[in-house]
Order: sequence, then C-alpha cells, then structure tokens
Amino acid sequence: MSIKVKIKIDGEYQIFDYDGDLNIPVTTLLERLDYPIEYSCSCLQGLCGACAMVINSQPKLACKTFVNDEIMVKEYGIITIEPLSKFPLVKDLKVDRSILHDVMIDCEQWLESDARVSDDLNFDYEMSMCLMCGCCTEACPNYGFDDFVGTQVAVSASKLISQESDSQHSKSIKRKYKDKFYPHCLKTLACEDVCPMKIPTQRAISKMNRKSVWRIWQLLSGDI
Amino acid sequence: MSEIIVVGAGIAGMTAAVKASELGSHVTLISPDYSERSQSVMAMGGINAALGKNDSVDEHFADTMNGGCGINDVNAVKRLTDDAPQIINWLSSIGTTFTRDGEGKIDQRYFGGQKKKRTAYAGARTGKQIVTALINECRKNEAEGGVTRVVGWRFLSLIIKNGKCLGVICINEDTSEIREFLSDSVIIATGGLNKLFGKTSGSIHNDGVATARLFMQGVELANLEMIQYHPTTVNTPVKRMLITEAARGEGGKLYTIRDGEKWYFMKEWYPELAELMPRDVVSRSIYKASEAGKNHVYLDISHLEESIIKTKLDEVYEICTNYLNLDPTSEAIPVYPGVHFFMGGIKTDENHKTNIQGLYAAGECSVQYHGANRLGGNSLLGAVHGGWIAAENAIMDSNDDYINQIDDELESFNKFEKSGKSVDVEDELAEIMAQYMGIYRNEEDLKGALAKLEGLEVKANSYYDYIKLESLILLAKACVISALMRKESRGAHQRTDYPQTSEEFKRTTCVTYDGEINVAFR
Ligand SMILES: Cc1cc2nc3c(=O)[nH]c(=O)nc-3n(C[C@H](O)[C@H](O)[C@H](O)COP(=O)(O)OP(=O)(O)OC[C@H]3O[C@@H](n4cnc5c(N)ncnc54)[C@H](O)[C@@H]3O)c2cc1C
Ligand code: SF4
Ligand code: SF4
Ligand code: FES
Repeated sequence: MSIKVKIKIDGEYQIFDYDGDLNIPVTTLLERLDYPIEYSCSCLQGLCGACAMVINSQPKLACKTFVNDEIMVKEYGIITIEPLSKFPLVKDLKVDRSILHDVMIDCEQWLESDARVSDDLNFDYEMSMCLMCGCCTEACPNYGFDDFVGTQVAVSASKLISQESDSQHSKSIKRKYKDKFYPHCLKTLACEDVCPMKIPTQRAISKMNRKSVWRIWQLLSGDI
Repeated sequence: MSEIIVVGAGIAGMTAAVKASELGSHVTLISPDYSERSQSVMAMGGINAALGKNDSVDEHFADTMNGGCGINDVNAVKRLTDDAPQIINWLSSIGTTFTRDGEGKIDQRYFGGQKKKRTAYAGARTGKQIVTALINECRKNEAEGGVTRVVGWRFLSLIIKNGKCLGVICINEDTSEIREFLSDSVIIATGGLNKLFGKTSGSIHNDGVATARLFMQGVELANLEMIQYHPTTVNTPVKRMLITEAARGEGGKLYTIRDGEKWYFMKEWYPELAELMPRDVVSRSIYKASEAGKNHVYLDISHLEESIIKTKLDEVYEICTNYLNLDPTSEAIPVYPGVHFFMGGIKTDENHKTNIQGLYAAGECSVQYHGANRLGGNSLLGAVHGGWIAAENAIMDSNDDYINQIDDELESFNKFEKSGKSVDVEDELAEIMAQYMGIYRNEEDLKGALAKLEGLEVKANSYYDYIKLESLILLAKACVISALMRKESRGAHQRTDYPQTSEEFKRTTCVTYDGEINVAFR
C-alpha cells in the first residue's frame, strides 16, 4: 500500500511517497525512504530510548511504533514525523537531550551509601527502567518553562530515597525535588500516558510529594 | 593524579570509569551517546556467579573453560570466576534491583553450559537494571569531578609514540570536528564488531571501527573466527532479534516437525542437558535438525505458566507480540541461529593490557575469558570484571610525552572526497560475511570470501564512513584468514573439511597487521 510520509526536516515539512509493506516500525520506514535523514537510534527494539520522536502528534519510540497501527495511516494514508520539540535541534529528526542528563546531576541522583534492599523491589525495578527518552517531557504541558527539570527526576528520586541509607543525602534529594520539581508539576498525568516503558510516573510523583513536601505526613511518620 | 581515557560507556566502560575515579584518577569517558543507549541495556537473561551453597567457583571455572573449548586464558578465567560473587555484591550495593527469592537472597536460574543455577538476574532486564545503577554511580563521580563525560564522539585513532600510547583522536558525530585527547593511559570498551554483519541482535552503535582502526595501527587482535551464533533469534522486519536463553533456562523446548510429529531433537541428542547445552552446540543442532534451515524449528514456552512468561520472560512476550504478532503463551516461536556475540577482538592479558604500553581493553571488544564460545551470563560478568581490572592497572601508567598526530588526521580529512553511498558497500560486506562466515565453513568458501572482499571498493559520502568501510573490510579479511588458518573444528568455528578438534590448535589465534595480515597460533 502507498502512503504519504510527512517529515519535518530542519524546520520545514517535506513529503515523501512510500509504497510497500506497512507492517514495519517507523525506523524501518525512515531507512527505506532512500533519502538521508538523521535521527538517533541504537537498539532498534524499544530498549534504549534513542529514537523518541513525535509521530502523528504523539511522542513515541520510532522503532516500536508500527506504521500500520497508526490511525492517521489507516484513515488517511499519511504519517507525520517530527523531532521532539523541547530540545535543541541537531539535524533533521535528531535533538540534543543533554539537559535531561545535566539536571540529574543538579538533583543529586545517586547513592552515597550502600543500597538498601527496599520493601518494594518491584517499584524500584519499574523506576529503574527509565530510558531518558524525553517522551514525558514532550507531553508535559509544564516542561520547557521556569527551569522545570522533568519527570525523569521524580522517577529516579522515588527509587533512590528508598535505597539510600545516608539520611543527609536522602534529605538533600528531597530538598532538590521540592525546589526543582514540585512547584512546577500540576499532576496532569500526561507523562504517564506516553511513557513507552509504562512507568507509573504518578506513583513516583505521589511518593516524592508525600516524602518531601507534605510536612504533616512527615511528622506523623517520623520521616523527616 | 593520573589522567585516563575510557572509550565506550557501556557496562565495561562505566565500571572502568567509576573504579579509576574511586582510585584517585581523573577519567574522560568518551562515547557517541549516553550510556542509556549502549548495547549493555539490551542484555536480558542474567549474570553468572557461584553464589549458591551447592555451587562453587571451581565449577564456574570448569564450565567456562569447557564452554570455551580450552582456548580461554586460564589465569584470566580463574580471576573472573573467583571474583564473580564479589562483583554481584558490588552491583547489588550500588543499587541493582536483582530478583530475590522468598528469603531475600538473590535468585538464580539455569543457563546453557552450566549444570548449576548460577545466573543471577533482574526481572527480564538484567542489563538495563545494572546500567541504571552504574549510571548513578558514574554520575556521583561526575559531580565530584572524578569523571568527565564527553558525549557525541567516536574513536578515530590512537596517539602512539615509540610503542607507547599517549591518547586518542576522536571525531564528532554531528559536526565532524576532529579532536585529540591526551592521557596517561587509554581503556577501550567499545563493544562487539556488529557492523561486520550489518545488523546483529545487538546495537547498531557498535560498529567495530575502534577495533579495526587499532588493528591498522598495530594492536594485536585474537580469535576473530570465533563468532557466536545465538541459537534462538527470530526474524522481524527490523532485524533478527534475540529470544533470551532464559526462555530455555525456564523450561522452553526446541522441536521441529518430522514425519508429521513434533521431534524434540535436543532431548534425543543430548539427554542430560538437552536445550541447555552450550550455544555453539544448540546452534549446530538447530542447523542440522532443520536441514540447514529448510524446515522450521520452534521454541515452545507455551507450557510455562503465563505469569512466568509475563514477568521473568516479559521481554520475550513483548518481542513476540510487538514484532511477530504471535502470542507465546499459546503458540510456539519459529527460531533460527543469528549472529550475536564476538568472542574475538583486542587481545589482552589477564590484566587487560594490550601489546601497546598504556593501552587496555575491556568488555566485549577484548579477548581473554570466553575462548571459542561464550557461556550465557558470562559476558556481563566479564564486562564488569574487565572494566574493574583494567582500571586498577591503568591508574599506574604515567606519561609526559607528546607527538603531533592530529595534523596527519586533519590532512587526510581535508583530502577526503565524496564518492557515493557507503550503505551499498556495507550491505555487500555484510552479505559476504553472513554467507561465508556462518555456522559451518570450508576452505573453498573462505577463499571465495577473500576474493570477494578484495573486490569491494570503498565508497563514502563522509569521512567517517570512509574510514569505517576501509578499516572494516580489512578486519573482515582478518576474520576470514583466521578461519582459513584454523584447520580444525572447535566451539563456534566449525569446518566441514576439518571436522575434528585438533590438539595442535588448542591455542589462541593471534592476528597482527603490518601492511599484511599475519596469523599465528600461540
Ligand atoms: C540482545 C542481547 C542480549 C544479551 N543478553 C546477555 C545476557 O543475558 N547476559 C550476558 O552476560 N550478556 C548478554 N549479552 C551480551 C552483553 O550484553 C554484551 O556483551 C555486554 O553488554 C557488552 O558490554 P560492553 O560494555 O563491552 O559494551 P557495550 O554495552 O556494547 O558498550 C559499548 C560502548 O562503546 C561505544 N562505542 C561503540 N563503538 C564506538 C566507537 N567506534 N567509538 C567510540 N565509542 C564507541 C558505544 O556507544 C557504547 O557506549 C546480550 C547481548 C545482546 C545484544
Ligand atoms: S519516564 Fe518514561 S517517558 Fe520519561 S524519560 Fe523515562 S522512559 Fe522516557
Ligand atoms: S504529571 Fe503532568 S505536569 Fe507533572 S510531570 Fe507529568 S506531565 Fe508534567
Ligand atoms: S532505537 Fe532503541 S528505543 Fe528505538
């Protein structure tokens, strides 16, 4: 079947015709266009987060998104592919996401002590799946304003504070969260809906709010 | 304080960076992309260590040597298996969320080539969980100033003077800027030689160019003919994807249809270990049972509990449902062997030193632990161990010399002229390798492969693509010549014209380049 492929290349939309198998992921579609388009990819199977882009207005991993599953393809025979919009553009569909990593350093996302084996291993496991892909920040209505650090910080912090036994550092992680995350997040849920790893971001955010912001909770539980 | 360069930021590179920084050195950690994108995150099944009461490091050692068919480095394997329990403890202490049993102890599962439950795992994503913990550890060192990450750069060449390495020259992926990085020592941790075969089960980042360029500069390589075909890969529109060995470890069975009935050939041929024989044996068995791919071979896990498939094997479930439109809880998975791991690469000793002073290699790009066939779960172990040992040794080097080598690199960059798309030649190269460097090889085919490789003409529209193809074609020739010269069958290297294993070749294939490719068995 033939479809139109509309790609935002360096700010301008270009339309390509594609005729062939549609039961392929978007990365394979890009490879088959016979036109050199820059984009990031590494694992080609949804494990590394490199290929996050905006496909028919939704941030997704291109290597896991099948062309024939897209409603726009089924209904109108067109697919629109754009780079993530909240990071500096490198070229074509490739963006520079280094800020996501830089803020992890600012927010002290590491352990000072030996890790405790927490009571909820499954929670820690899920939070460790974050790909740093930036799909969440793309969907978040508040990311991009006022130095908001982004969902990945809450995801990482929610695990680290249960693993960390150095209470000073644990406090420090919570303080950073309270300053750099909490005031900006309106709990709109958009991040959880788009996360390709299905990370329960709302549980992470709630846990962090409970542990670092709600004084009453802290007083009651003695967890200051 | 010594200055160390680590090239590659997967599990081996990050471990090296963390350890060297903890020991007081400053590390510049160079990679094309962040560690979340490294192939290490793709490892699913697990990591080996003799932790259980009824297991021992001696048995781990013996199984590893047997799996490698005796050409592994004995001293290195001894240290690897002795240190393995300590490595698991360290990974746990930095926050890796290993799966635990009812008593809170790290759980272990069966993997191929091992009679004991020796493979520790973290759900269905062991590599990812380890990488996340290592990134945090690395980040702490970055914040404290011990590690500086340089992201977006690929290795071009080593700076060498009088047989000593003084640093590296790298190229920026986006801007093509070329830059030198000087240091007291260099640790290479750039992963496998995937690009030789186009697309493998692993990451397309691991193009093998660092190894190929080092070879051109006189670094000794080894065991290049030892290429692991993983027995169970599936064909998707994207590439051949891996179905982890854990699927067999948890009880998955292999069969093909013979005379209208399911024939469980592994059980028939190898009653004791059956599906859990080492990978080389299982791959060859699938090849034979399917009559060289004419008939389908199936991996059946549908008899396992659905909850096991959806938790411990959730990645298998995802691959089957997403990429094959197949439900493994009720249907068998059609599988065939595919290129997965390179036992060959940069020759290092038990201290991870290469033949160049001040140059080390660790992880999949380095050779010492796995011999002619790597056991599942030993690679993650080797990557951590290698990074650690390389760091401990590299911090002792010092250097106050300099040589201007970057001008030569810039000159050849400036002389470069576009000559056409490199992908076509890359495809041809991959085809030659797939066709002639398969599970079974013979002299006539290998000579044919050499002739075809000779005939390849380098075409490229960018400088990096040019040096990539030029060096990979040379590396491919070195692989084929190694396979030609090893006139026996051992592990991953099977010759139809020399089907026996020969004592004479119970040695490492050592390969050097000085304008000609030289192979010696030592
Ligand atoms: C699908 C899959 C499943 C696996 N499962 C298991 C398992 O269950 N157990 C197990 O033990 N092993 C497993 N393996 C093997 C194991 O994952 C790898 O061998 C191991 O992770 C290698 O680690 P590494 O640090 O050496 O390299 P990698 O993690 O591959 O990292 C290489 C680094 O070098 C960089 N790099 C590459 N080329 C260049 C260049 N030219 N210049 C600069 N930098 C470069 C990369 O960007 C990356 O940062 C699996 C492999 C695959 C593909
Ligand atoms: S939380 Fe999910 S969407 Fe956000 S960076 Fe992590 S994996 Fe991507
Ligand atoms: S909950 Fe809403 S506001 Fe908060 S991080 Fe997620 S998308 Fe952004
Ligand atoms: S390329 Fe790794 S997630 Fe798409």
